[in-house]
Amino acid sequence: MLALIEKSKSIIITGHSLGGPAASLCTLWLLSYLQSVISPLQVLCITFGSPLLGNGSLSRAILRERWGGNFCHVVSNHDIMPRLLFVPLASLNSQLHLLLQYWQLSMTSPELGQLVFQLRNEDKAELFRFVLVHLEALAQGGEETMRSLFWPLGNYLFCSQEGAICVDNAVSVTKMMHLMLLTGSPNNCIEDHLKYGDYVDKVSSQFLYHRSFLQPGLPASSYEAGVALALQSSGIDIQESVAIPAKDCLETARRMGRTPNLKSAKLAVSLSKYVPFRAEIEWYKASCDDSEEEMGYYDCFKLRTSKRESRVNLNRIRLANFWNDVINMLDSNQLPHDFHRRHKWVNTAQFYKLLVEPLDIAEYYKSGTHRVKGHYLKHGRERRYEIFDRWWRQKESNIVSTGQEDNKIRSKFASLTQDSCFWAKVEEAREWLDNVRSESDIRELALLWKNIEGFETYARGLIESKEVSKDVLAKNSSYTLWVKKYIALKSQVVQYFPPQFTSFANGEIVP
Amino acid sequence: MASAIGMREELIIKACSSAMNAHRSPQGYILEEIPSSSDHTFLFSFRGSWSATDWFAHKPFGETDIKLDKFPSLRSIGNIFKNKFRNYIRMNEPMQALKHVHMGSKDDLDATSKYIIQVEMAVEENEQGCQKKKKQRAVMGKRQVVFTGHSAGGPMAILATLWFLERAWKTKISPLCVTFGCPLTGDHIFSHALVRENWASCFKHFVMRYDIVPRMLLAPITSIEQSISTILHFFETRPRGITEEASDFYETVMRNASAVASHAACKLMGNTNLLVETVTSFIPLSPYKPFGTYIFCTGNGSLVVLSNPDAVLQLLFYSCQLGSETEGTEIAHRSLEQHLGYENELQDSLQMQVVHDVGLTELANLPLSGGDNSALNDLGLSTGARLCLRAAAELEKRKQRNKAYFRMPSWTRESLETKPISKKDEMKKAMQVLDDYRKMTAVRNVGYYDAFKLQKTADDFNANVKRLELAGIWDEIIEMLKRYELPDGFERDGEWIKLGTRYRRLVEPLDIANYYRHSKNEDTGPYTIRGRPKRYRYTQRWREHAERMVPGSSGESHFWADVEELRLNKDGFEKVKDEVLELENNLLKWVNGKDLDEDVLLEESTFVKWWKTLPIQHKEEDSAIVKWCKILPNQGAESGFSTLMTNT
Repeated sequence: MLALIEKSKSIIITGHSLGGPAASLCTLWLLSYLQSVISPLQVLCITFGSPLLGNGSLSRAILRERWGGNFCHVVSNHDIMPRLLFVPLASLNSQLHLLLQYWQLSMTSPELGQLVFQLRNEDKAELFRFVLVHLEALAQGGEETMRSLFWPLGNYLFCSQEGAICVDNAVSVTKMMHLMLLTGSPNNCIEDHLKYGDYVDKVSSQFLYHRSFLQPGLPASSYEAGVALALQSSGIDIQESVAIPAKDCLETARRMGRTPNLKSAKLAVSLSKYVPFRAEIEWYKASCDDSEEEMGYYDCFKLRTSKRESRVNLNRIRLANFWNDVINMLDSNQLPHDFHRRHKWVNTAQFYKLLVEPLDIAEYYKSGTHRVKGHYLKHGRERRYEIFDRWWRQKESNIVSTGQEDNKIRSKFASLTQDSCFWAKVEEAREWLDNVRSESDIRELALLWKNIEGFETYARGLIESKEVSKDVLAKNSSYTLWVKKYIALKSQVVQYFPPQFTSFANGEIVP
Repeated sequence: MASAIGMREELIIKACSSAMNAHRSPQGYILEEIPSSSDHTFLFSFRGSWSATDWFAHKPFGETDIKLDKFPSLRSIGNIFKNKFRNYIRMNEPMQALKHVHMGSKDDLDATSKYIIQVEMAVEENEQGCQKKKKQRAVMGKRQVVFTGHSAGGPMAILATLWFLERAWKTKISPLCVTFGCPLTGDHIFSHALVRENWASCFKHFVMRYDIVPRMLLAPITSIEQSISTILHFFETRPRGITEEASDFYETVMRNASAVASHAACKLMGNTNLLVETVTSFIPLSPYKPFGTYIFCTGNGSLVVLSNPDAVLQLLFYSCQLGSETEGTEIAHRSLEQHLGYENELQDSLQMQVVHDVGLTELANLPLSGGDNSALNDLGLSTGARLCLRAAAELEKRKQRNKAYFRMPSWTRESLETKPISKKDEMKKAMQVLDDYRKMTAVRNVGYYDAFKLQKTADDFNANVKRLELAGIWDEIIEMLKRYELPDGFERDGEWIKLGTRYRRLVEPLDIANYYRHSKNEDTGPYTIRGRPKRYRYTQRWREHAERMVPGSSGESHFWADVEELRLNKDGFEKVKDEVLELENNLLKWVNGKDLDEDVLLEESTFVKWWKTLPIQHKEEDSAIVKWCKILPNQGAESGFSTLMTNT
């Protein structure tokens, strides 16, 4: 696989039947790998009649990663295989065993399959009915949906004799699975699993011919006519009773509202309404930097030294809400597909993160949440910051890969500390220092001291390359106080530790 | 018929027969003068080529970069694509290759020069004629230049027309370009630029319902490489039997056309499915897009006229579909035969006089099922096809609405207005506030830029808020432009260009002040390279394009960023001497041309303070400003530049 990645621009992974989940897993692995190395390689997974792969969490995770477009599951309108895992199968063990054997033999040597293995008609009918009943309950929503172990992910392309429709909304996929199976029979729900070749042939030659609406009474509005055409392609006759729920289902699957382009244009205006809040925080930071308390905005905000902090806090919350909304819109696919690569948004998000995350950290430690939930870095960091981190890294790596990087040497301290989690690290380091005093176990102590040294090296590195803002070095900032304590403690520790530990104390070992 | 198409019937017929005759012209083109009592027409007809190498020189679609120095009007004004290969507008390769074939020369300019001279003569004669016979002018009417070509002669005619338009923009003669069975020629930027420049209506493309050639370039070369020579040979020699390849060829072209049309339709209908984007990187999609007016010949004599490029693209695919499986071979044959049948078909149309002019309104309200007497029935369109055409019209209408939205008064939640206010007025109001702020800062003798950079008072903070509000409104506009959600002509709209220029000059200095105040140059890089927002880049290019200025020459609004970068220079004066001189020359040009406010020259401004630190030799001798003041002492003494002179 790695060799393939090296020499290809795009990779398609495919599988039929039980090969489907294997293909999907392989694609998932590849997508995760590509994300970690930031590669432009394109991946597409096409499965045919594949059983379901994962549960609702996996399905949602894929939506969040915006990988839904990388999966296309082709499902014929009656095939029972993709629907099997919606139902508890334990009671059907023997029938299933036969069924799988039949399918396998039919695929490898069609004649043999026909001759040897045939499920009894009663078994087929029972299987069909059993799946239908469970699917129906699922399609109705309610508790069954919660209990279902498996849930669709990515796009589903439903094929019929009349054409194909593509649905990417998991709820609608489940409903369509049910409604289409309703029009099938115990026999063809098994045979259909073997007919993907025919379906694909049929669908892929459709472009040559006019395909008009065949029934009378075509709606006049473009929207409804579009739904009616989709219904026709799904192979459901408008006369059938399932046509009405199917139509409803397709309508919900098609998201309405403003197009992503206009939405993101509109977002520029909402952003401008929120930027003044950020500007006020900037102002607050500047005034803290100049104030006589010499604490920097992190500590000022944490200690709530004046009335202004409550206003700043309000702005902090407003901004968090705004950005959470943006992330939600992105998650639900309401924004253009390349939104997270647009410089304007990447830059604004980064600036927001650098300025405001320290306040979030201050709030976290001020309210003592860390004692309940654990430290900020591991347990308290909001998802939006992690997303913005990723956007920024991606942008930086693009700049590096296109060779536009200039040697950035700072002439003065950055206006904002470039590591927005700096203060969270200070807080942790402070706890370590406190623990050193009370810790008696020498091994634990050595570990603690190693951590402390690690932080000290990291912070010194940041300061030397001027990646921090000047508030970090303010006379009364948490960091400056920490350094004082550290130096004091270090001299004690050197006396206290037996010789073999002095190497830690001297900071020779850099973790 | 004449009024729907926008040219005289005899001229259409004449152009068609000339275009066909031109294939046999040894010199590559024919020039005919058609005198008449009302107007005098020069008709240029170009020869095509039947050689496969002329049709497809580059993979995957035979496209190449257009030479923007020769066709500056075709550039994309605001949007500049990052990707180097997409930086230019593409025109298809036959045009470039054919120029060599026709003119027998290697240099592009040389190649075209022969017919260019002829065109120039025609234009000049026209102008002289007008002057000489001023009295007769009214009687004479206008003179007309018409370029025409059939098949691969079409792109030649288009290029010639564009060349003419680039040069004749002052002469007010609008040329005509008539093509018959012409392969697709430009990409979406090309199509966009022609509408923007108001040139699209000069182009009339006749397309037979099944003619394969106008659709051919929707398929990548690799897919039709095998059969293309045979097909072209058929066109050239017209043997009696039809080639066996016809069916395969038809199917391949249609398969690819279907991919292009479906992808375009997904965009038209606002499909958000991510699969569409993924698949695009697996299937090569043709970059071409129609432009101008298309006249579809239905085959039974009636004509369908439409000029919405998105609709035409859909129609190119859908009108060629089969009614039933049994039609396959016959239509495949017809798709080749019809490429040579324009003359006969147009004669029939002239007799019939049935022309359906399908405008935006008709398109948007197209009946969805055939059967009734709708204009497009003769092209046999399915329901799906009709939905796509409607969507194309809806998109155009939406673009118009988007533009109107900026003028439409509406309530804004955050503002304290007592009555609804339009985005445009909101913008003007905010700019007025900043204007007042600027006047106020002038009193402090530090200037607008420096006052804002210091951020000392509440006024400075309020100005910052106004700056951000304006940024929001302009970013919305730019975002729409980037996604082609505004009408093609937006960037040529005089009112918006003026507003954009005013905005840029007023607010960009504040953005720069903010940038350097927060030393963002050390986070991201120099402002002009890395930090300059698109809202300023776009508006600057609007003005430069409209006034035909050298690109980059209207950079007065980022003057301060240039100053800041020079100020930060650590390599010594000699290294940046040329840049300093350039800055001074620009400053003279901009201040004297009133493009830049004189407050940059106030005693306490960053610029003046920096300038005074320059080496004595420069300040007394070499400086462009010093030289200018020496040449024009009076003017220099009266101007703001005197601040620089007093101390030296």
